[in-house]
Amino acid sequence: MITDTSTQQPEITKSEPAKTPSNNTAKDFRHYLVKFQSLIALFLLCAVIGLLSDNFFTVANGWNVMRQISVNICISVGMTLVILTGGIDLSVGSVLAFSGAVTAGLLSAGIELPAFDLFIGFTLLGGIIVGMATGSILGAFNGWTITRFRVPPFVATLAMLTIARGLTMLWTNGFPISGLGEGFVTIGTGWFLGIPVPVWISAVVVVSFMMITTKTKLGRYIYAIGGNENAARLSGINIKKVKIIVYSLAGGLAAVGGLIVTARLNSAQPNAGFSYELDAIAAVVIGGTSLSGGRGTILGTVLGAIIIGVLNNGLVLLDVSPFWQQVVKGIVILLAVIIDKSSSKNQ
Amino acid sequence: MTNKIIKYAVVVLVVGFILYNAVYFEKLSEVKAASSEEAFDATAYAQSFWTNALLPALPEAVDLAALIHQLKTNPAQAFESHSHALGIGNIRYFLVQGQGKVAAVNENEVTVLNEQDTMRFLVQLETEFVYGNAVRDAVGAIDISEFTNTMHLNQVSEEVNQIIRQEVIPPFREQVKEGDIVQFAGAVELNQKYLNLDEIEIIPVSLMIMEP
Repeated sequence: MITDTSTQQPEITKSEPAKTPSNNTAKDFRHYLVKFQSLIALFLLCAVIGLLSDNFFTVANGWNVMRQISVNICISVGMTLVILTGGIDLSVGSVLAFSGAVTAGLLSAGIELPAFDLFIGFTLLGGIIVGMATGSILGAFNGWTITRFRVPPFVATLAMLTIARGLTMLWTNGFPISGLGEGFVTIGTGWFLGIPVPVWISAVVVVSFMMITTKTKLGRYIYAIGGNENAARLSGINIKKVKIIVYSLAGGLAAVGGLIVTARLNSAQPNAGFSYELDAIAAVVIGGTSLSGGRGTILGTVLGAIIIGVLNNGLVLLDVSPFWQQVVKGIVILLAVIIDKSSSKNQ
Repeated sequence: MTNKIIKYAVVVLVVGFILYNAVYFEKLSEVKAASSEEAFDATAYAQSFWTNALLPALPEAVDLAALIHQLKTNPAQAFESHSHALGIGNIRYFLVQGQGKVAAVNENEVTVLNEQDTMRFLVQLETEFVYGNAVRDAVGAIDISEFTNTMHLNQVSEEVNQIIRQEVIPPFREQVKEGDIVQFAGAVELNQKYLNLDEIEIIPVSLMIMEP
């Protein structure tokens, strides 16, 4: 008996067209393209800059880029947590400046209490602890205003941007604070096991927060809040507490960035960290974190920060005017958001 | 209960250890006394720099007309031979001297016309806005490694500029008028990448009105 298979074939094609091998391959390819878009973008960027500049693929430049992006990585990791909850933190640049200034001020001048003929000096450890605590407190204040008074994160952190910058000016009197000691400078310029200390610091930050976001309750709560805040509330998550913790962590990480910047320059500059929030947001968005929250990874943000760092470095090596550099960076961020939106729609 | 006590005891010990290693206490009067001995005296440093380095270097300053000619014909050589700078980058400083006829006395500067055989150019002698590091750096006599921080270095510039504002400019401004012949020496800042010789501004170190 001969079976006529030609009559069956069209039926299969009609009912399950996506299961043909060619369609599957195209879908897989597209899936991988979306999944690894940041890596592909980084690879292409490096290839183009490497072709145009002889100095790009050198060891010295590689470490230089890594050292520069370590600050942005610290800030961006905090920004990722905030954006994952559906918020935004525009104050990180100013918080970075104030935390760095507080540490520098305490290390160089301590606290004087003339009424008691007392001088309280701060060791390196003391200065670092107080600086990080300052960043965390300012971040916690952001979280408190957002959750307690329902102020939109954009407005609350914009206010903190101005407050922290003003506090920095008051603390420094508008002048740099310098002479911070060799021990502190090592944080920004030193090497450990052949790798710059700032790179070690950012690596510790990245690994720690990868663990927090993937292996802890807090991490799951952060994703839940960003995915659907009402559902998260109904499932018993303390939204206020989590948000305050997230903004505190973002402030603390901005302070870590502030310590690196201050140590690198061996001085706290009153205008340090100016517009750093934009680079951090850019890194987060380029890294694939959704601005509406609930979707994104720390590793993606690290890739985003590397792309921004390589882009900055490449534009300098190619002698592009600083004004054009800003235009290019803006376009890259815009493209990243457009890609994010279109990929969200497709999903 | 016992576990809780152990937990709190460990926390208290850790916090205590951190605090013990984080701060130290001293008598404020003793700290003040020690720091006043170590303090950097920018005024004294600037005065010493002025007397012992800057003024003796003035006779060796490059002639402005010759410098401009060299900058037009061989800028790289001119920058290498005559300019100084403490930092990296395109901004370099020259210690120059020259002579010319006062073309205009303005509120903020005095314009001097310098006429040579084949060259004719205008320079501005700054008499109001005396700022920056031009004079400090133009001599090439300061060793940056002598300074523990950049603030002290900037204070030296400010003190040197203050000497110019108080001692060099006022007697000159009182007497100078259009048509006077003046001899000048001072510092010029030029960008070696974007060289602009049309508007040369000099921070004066020495200004002299010649007898007619």
